[in-house]
Amino acid sequence: MELAELAVKKALDFGATEAEAYVQKVKRLWIEFADKIDSFKIIESMGMGLRVAVNKKLAIHSTSILSEKEVEEAAEKTVKIAKVAPEDPYWRHLNKEFGKSPAQGYFDDKLEAIEYSEIIEKLSVAIDKMKEYDNRVKPTRGMLMASISNTTILSSYGERNERKETHLTAWMRAKAEEHGEKSTGTEHCEVRFWNEMNLEEMAVRAAEKAVKFLKAKPIESGKLPVIVRNQVFASILGVILSGPINADWVQKGRSPLSNKLGMQVAAQNINIFDDGTLRGGWRTRPFDDEGHPTQKTTVIGNGILKNYLYDSYTALKDNAESTGNAFRSQYWMPPQPQPTNLALEPGNVSLKEMIQETKRGIFIDETIGEWLSNPVSGNLSATITHGYLIENGELTKPIKGVVISGNFYEILKDGIELIGNDLRNYMQNYAPTVKLKEITIAGK
Amino acid sequence: MEIEGEMEKIVKKAVDLGVSQVDVRYQQYDYELITVENKTLKSYSSRRLSGLGIKVALNGSVGYASTCDLNYASLEKTLENAIKAAKSIKKEEKHMVEAKVSQIEMKSPYKIDPIDVAPEEKVSAALDANKAAWIDEKIKSAITRLGISKDYRIFISSEGSKVATETTMIGMAHESVAKSNGIMERVPYQESKCAGYEFIESMDLNSFAADISALAVDAVKSKTPPAGTYAVVVDQNVIGLLLHEAFGHASEGDLVSTRESVLYGKIGSQVASEHVTIIDEGIIEGGYFYPFDDEGVKKEKTVVVENGILKSYLHDKTSAYQFNVASTGNGRAQDFENLPIVRQTNYYMKPGDYKFEELIEDVDFGIYIRGKGGGGGQVEVGMGTFTFGVGPSKIMKNGELTETVRGVVISGFILETLKTIDAVGKDLTVRTSIFGGCGKMGQTVRVGFGGPHVRVRKMTVGGR
Repeated sequence: MELAELAVKKALDFGATEAEAYVQKVKRLWIEFADKIDSFKIIESMGMGLRVAVNKKLAIHSTSILSEKEVEEAAEKTVKIAKVAPEDPYWRHLNKEFGKSPAQGYFDDKLEAIEYSEIIEKLSVAIDKMKEYDNRVKPTRGMLMASISNTTILSSYGERNERKETHLTAWMRAKAEEHGEKSTGTEHCEVRFWNEMNLEEMAVRAAEKAVKFLKAKPIESGKLPVIVRNQVFASILGVILSGPINADWVQKGRSPLSNKLGMQVAAQNINIFDDGTLRGGWRTRPFDDEGHPTQKTTVIGNGILKNYLYDSYTALKDNAESTGNAFRSQYWMPPQPQPTNLALEPGNVSLKEMIQETKRGIFIDETIGEWLSNPVSGNLSATITHGYLIENGELTKPIKGVVISGNFYEILKDGIELIGNDLRNYMQNYAPTVKLKEITIAGK
Repeated sequence: MEIEGEMEKIVKKAVDLGVSQVDVRYQQYDYELITVENKTLKSYSSRRLSGLGIKVALNGSVGYASTCDLNYASLEKTLENAIKAAKSIKKEEKHMVEAKVSQIEMKSPYKIDPIDVAPEEKVSAALDANKAAWIDEKIKSAITRLGISKDYRIFISSEGSKVATETTMIGMAHESVAKSNGIMERVPYQESKCAGYEFIESMDLNSFAADISALAVDAVKSKTPPAGTYAVVVDQNVIGLLLHEAFGHASEGDLVSTRESVLYGKIGSQVASEHVTIIDEGIIEGGYFYPFDDEGVKKEKTVVVENGILKSYLHDKTSAYQFNVASTGNGRAQDFENLPIVRQTNYYMKPGDYKFEELIEDVDFGIYIRGKGGGGGQVEVGMGTFTFGVGPSKIMKNGELTETVRGVVISGFILETLKTIDAVGKDLTVRTSIFGGCGKMGQTVRVGFGGPHVRVRKMTVGGR
């Protein structure tokens, strides 16, 4: 008997009324580098999260020790905790029916079979490109991670689903130095296929950016229009909206979007989707972490709030259908509703056109601290580390060290002037470049 | 312990295979998290993680492999993987200093083992705290978490070191969300300690959550501050965060050796005002217990800045080699799946001699920046830019605290901001957290930070 099956069976034997085992095996290759490759790690990990219900009492316990003895003990411990837990009055049952969507582009056969030397070679070439770009530039830090994971979910309702996924991320930073002035340029990408990872291009762009920012300075405080680069806006979108559109936040009174279904929460040209079937998307997969099929859900359509994102628990509580958004950040954590791939639908304006039609403003290329924005109040803040002043339709001076702030919900309603055509992702968040009418800048 | 024998066999085998240096690290990590939302138990999760990682140095290159499967055949395969990884990058040169050989076992002190406390008792403590949060009809949501961890690590190296450490930690976190006139605000806060369940028993669970709710209610009624650059007084939480983000990361030897950090080449120079002395220390009251690092090196007290002069960077064995100094015991790994890199331990500012009233009395207009309810921070060490979100704060006018402001974000440049510190308080507090940690290169580790109240003459404050 496989261990997941054993865990479920033992949980029932110890007195559970329902049980679900979630087993994950992951192999990760992890390379750290600076101006040369520093280290290469091969990490093989596995673990099982066991969720049990004793009527309306719940517990989850996990272990990375996958032996029969430990699995039995884990089942016993989980049931023991559940028995003494207070009842959850809203608990009905685990997801009873598993299924699969026709999602594509979440597993790379080539990565599974790749020779390590190919990865090292491609990365070494990229590092050299960065060094050769300009003698003021030095690669200072970076990492490349590739993972192959295998997830099995099995429940006491006799259901079982299994999926294999690949994920690749790379991140690298160049530093430029001249006459005591220092600057950096950083690039990152998150993809599902080895062939989609263009390390050379990233290296050159990071180097180019570092050189351009040698003379960057803060500007005066004030209010200006800003153009926010796609990956930066994607990150902000995820930080602010992931929680408030989550049915759990709505049910618990934590979401500013509670009681707003069917209402205008954004300008008419704003469409935001959650799409677990997006081809090659960062969180694309055929079923969620409770075995429910993934789907495409309209969150905001023509500015109107259409749907919240559900897992089976929150759906049963609202008498709604799960939207296939159950997500376990790690195998040992309980599933919660979370976006799969959250996307702001692109428009048709190019970045070039956006810059050309701006008399005075800022193009924001990179920020830090945007994750400090507050999804509950909508307070948006980020520190620009790499921005350009736009004067009469052209990028002029590089800018650093100014803080932007505004309210994201107000921006959604009437703050977005233009929506770009260049959709890109920061992990599971997707957005095109956007131009905001005006935002507060705290500077000198 | 049985595993120690297996680890020693792996070390011997690696040496036999021609590996010049090998570190074997075992870890067993137990963790429990109880979450109560709106007076109901949301989840009780517990976790046991154990495994082993092997680091090999071979012809100057480093390979690493880890596994959760602890039977000996799997450990041998893991060693092969580590060697294979090292060989795949064989052209590189990598050197490390030697560590002083230590053979020791150390445990953080506690009275009541929190893992052994009955689950229902822990659940009821979290429920009690949560129920006390509903002080006002403006409170719309309240989340309480009780966290417990026990981190046991064994380090055995071919140099002859054998170090075992155990750190037991516990804490409670709470977040209240308040809504008033269509505006929502949330205030999170937590208290943790390297201790046992006696820490929870000593807490006043009623006032813990009620105070956080009161702050949320106060904040939701308040405005955001005017954007600009001001004089500020920061509290102990914020100075800790500020030093950790704004200076600590830039002082990490690996970031300095690649010249990524703005502190490169600054040893012996003035990097902060003369009032500033900064220390990194492995064991301090209120902080995270970290007596030895993950390279088997004792974490000594490191004076990073003394009276404004940069004295030392933080080092692991690799960065120490590059600077021709000894490791300061800052080679830390999140867990057995990760290689140690240079990390802070408990990073704090040494107290001065000002009273709080003296710090604010000559500020005409500024902000008293408070950490409670804040959200953390980030730094870009190359450009020297830092930023972080703090809690509801107070406007200072003519030497007095006036109205509350919310949504405060502060930002500055590492080498400029600390030079504008002109007064340092006497009230040192160091804190740690079981709920969060510090992230770098994909690894999160627990840290401690703090300091006294400090006056900073120029800080950029983002508002609306």
